[in-house]
Amino acid sequence: MEHARHVVRVVLLVMVVLAVAFLARGFLVPRSYGMYGPYRYDNVREQMNVRRPAHAGPAACEQCHPDEATARKAGVHRNVSCEVCHGPFAAHVKEDGSVVTPTVDRSYTLCARCHRKVDGRPAGFPQVVLEEHVSGPVEGKVCLGCHNPHSPKL
Amino acid sequence: MPPEISGFAFPNDVHVWWSLMIVMYPYITGFVAGAFIVTSLFHLFGRTEFKPIARLAMATSFSFLLVASMPLQLHLGHPERGPLVMITPHFTSAMAGFGILYSGYLLILLLEVWFVWRPEIVLRARRSRGPKRAFYAALALGTYDIGPEALEVDHGAITLLAGIGLPAACMLHGYVGFIFGAIKANPWWSTPLMPVIFLCSAAVSGIALLMVLYQVVSKLRGGEPDQPCVSALARWLWFFLILTITLELLEIIVMAYERSESWLIISELLTTRLEFSYVTMQLIVGGLIPLILLAVVVLMNRYLHERVRNTLSTVAALLCLVQVFSMRWNIVVGGQLLSKSLRGLRAPYEPELFGREGVLMAIALLVAPFVILWIFDRVLGIDPPEKTGAASPAEPPADVPARVRSA
Amino acid sequence: MEKPPRSLPVVPDEHASAPPEPGHGRREFLANVLRLSGGALVFLAGGPAAEAGGASGKEAGEAYHWDEHSYAYLVDTSKCIGCGSCVRACAAENQVPDGFFRTWVERYVVGMERTHVDSPNGGKDGFGPIQVDFVGTKSFFVPKLCNHCRATPCIQVCPVGASYRTHDGVVLVDAERCIGCAYCVQACPYGSRFLSPLTHTAEKCTWCYHRITKGLRPACVEVCPTGTRQFGDLKRPNDPVRLAIEHDRIGVLQAHLRTEPNCYYLHLDKEVR
Repeated sequence: MEHARHVVRVVLLVMVVLAVAFLARGFLVPRSYGMYGPYRYDNVREQMNVRRPAHAGPAACEQCHPDEATARKAGVHRNVSCEVCHGPFAAHVKEDGSVVTPTVDRSYTLCARCHRKVDGRPAGFPQVVLEEHVSGPVEGKVCLGCHNPHSPKL
Repeated sequence: MPPEISGFAFPNDVHVWWSLMIVMYPYITGFVAGAFIVTSLFHLFGRTEFKPIARLAMATSFSFLLVASMPLQLHLGHPERGPLVMITPHFTSAMAGFGILYSGYLLILLLEVWFVWRPEIVLRARRSRGPKRAFYAALALGTYDIGPEALEVDHGAITLLAGIGLPAACMLHGYVGFIFGAIKANPWWSTPLMPVIFLCSAAVSGIALLMVLYQVVSKLRGGEPDQPCVSALARWLWFFLILTITLELLEIIVMAYERSESWLIISELLTTRLEFSYVTMQLIVGGLIPLILLAVVVLMNRYLHERVRNTLSTVAALLCLVQVFSMRWNIVVGGQLLSKSLRGLRAPYEPELFGREGVLMAIALLVAPFVILWIFDRVLGIDPPEKTGAASPAEPPADVPARVRSA
Repeated sequence: MEKPPRSLPVVPDEHASAPPEPGHGRREFLANVLRLSGGALVFLAGGPAAEAGGASGKEAGEAYHWDEHSYAYLVDTSKCIGCGSCVRACAAENQVPDGFFRTWVERYVVGMERTHVDSPNGGKDGFGPIQVDFVGTKSFFVPKLCNHCRATPCIQVCPVGASYRTHDGVVLVDAERCIGCAYCVQACPYGSRFLSPLTHTAEKCTWCYHRITKGLRPACVEVCPTGTRQFGDLKRPNDPVRLAIEHDRIGVLQAHLRTEPNCYYLHLDKEVR
């Protein structure tokens, strides 16, 4: 054994390094890691509160815009959420209660997203071939001139 | 701007997340494993023809291992969080094994290097003065016993460590192949052949690197490389190159023959985006040509002049290095040019020049191990001590004659 | 702790609406609504805070017990009109960086011989007319998102446990622990994940976890004008999504990979991968 002193020393050194590494690891593992599985459980709550919901649904819009809401509910757009065209609620009513007027695309492209005749849309869905629907170039045409977006008639 | 797509790719599927660094990573790890296989051929399997390069091989393996984790760190979105792989390893992930395997292998190799070079460390500690002496004394852990009995103990330790080290080296690299081979989402990666191919090509790259290194080091030292050693290297290189190319072709041929749903897009990938790097570089320049050159060296060994043998095998080795790099590139990058929609290919990937994951960084990563090797040589001396005129106790403990003499 | 919110306009049902609190302006009320629904008054069953909050309140937004839910998503591809509202809503709701997608819409034009697929900007700006150089006999849109698989390849490969599946069936990424190795991005067969250029961590659809845990629907479902996208809770016996999964002929994407998706598709074509 007397000729294996260096072996004993190197083995001791390795064991010390491993022990230090193991102890250090104990301090570095997050508190809630492993509570329910190999992940940090606290993150679940962080994810729940990552930001305030931006979309609030038509019921929220109705609070201030009852006329539009009533018209929408009676018409064919009753299943189209206000936020589809007007953008998310949170961009309109800020967290501190202040109101920003959202910019709404009033050109034909807004309506064309759903109603332009395009390959892929279900056959029963109301669609128009823009070039046949209007006379002259499509650019610059305003659907809203004839159709009421909140309760369009066909 | 999103890159140009032919066909249809999933909209998130147009980025090459695994950059040049992930090409470098298996390339460098391959050298670690390959060089270790060569020293094991001597230390474990008694192939004495490798004695002249056994130490060089071990030092090379060690130098590349110190760099091997760098490209991984560099490619991470959050390099500072890299240690999490060790702190909270998630063991269902092939990548979590990396931390454990890498550090385990590093430990084994460190110990083996220490035991092999211990007589040298002790001699230098005795010879030097002042801070230099303190440095070597610390390296020697304060014990200067290099008597025959102590060397006998060292020899046992080295054999044991080599015995653990060889499977560890193979696993370290086989596991790199597993990282790709076990991704069922990507048909260009997902094959059980992948770890085997990676392992064989690691041996190719390691042996090829040692061949080149041995030639260069011999020239630098003003000597000639030992011809039986060169022949042996060429023979093993040839063997592993045959294995590698066979497996690489088998992978493609099976896919084509099975007419799997992914073959349409993979054949398009190989003939368009990867035509140069796969067909030209990996199969012909880096595959077929060195195969022929090495066949000449091996089959006509007796008739070759020294200089012809040296030149042929060095050229073949350099081409093999190109082959292995192309193979890494084609796997890593090729797999990302292909969308998982299996309907589209991305425009070819061109790595940036500067930056964390750029070409210059890749070159720096390739140069770094040689700098480490040079430092290693200055500090410990790679060559067997008998050449530098040291006393007989400093002979490599694994050396059979040394043991006979001391007995 | 503040007073618990009395009620929230969380049910996007047309009839459900809460009366404004007396003495407050409507705008203030609405702002409060959002603040509270985004606030911290949420507890998880078994969590350290659960005892503190008590198990009393079950109103949306006050207490949330993840073992009481098991979410599923249903896409009826025959209804999709490719308007892209869902993609825009998702981007606005989750601040998704441009050029990356937590959800997207694909268009298929299929003929007897060939198939053409496109998804310009993920369908975010809608779809325009298309010319294909073969005879297309059918065409349809397919919305895509994370499938929230039960046997996820992405969680499996995460080396640090940054990605996980919650008890209510949502696959999430812990952005504080993600090292940005992109292994999960490679492992997802659906292309649902990406590395955010802003945070350099993996990002993906969360089914709007900050919404659904307050009783709201994911933003994409909320804005879908045709009912293509539906979100349900399998632990509710008469949930429409649950009924559809139980009784209709449904498909999942890339079923051969056995990832066991929790997104189900009605009227799925064989060309869709």
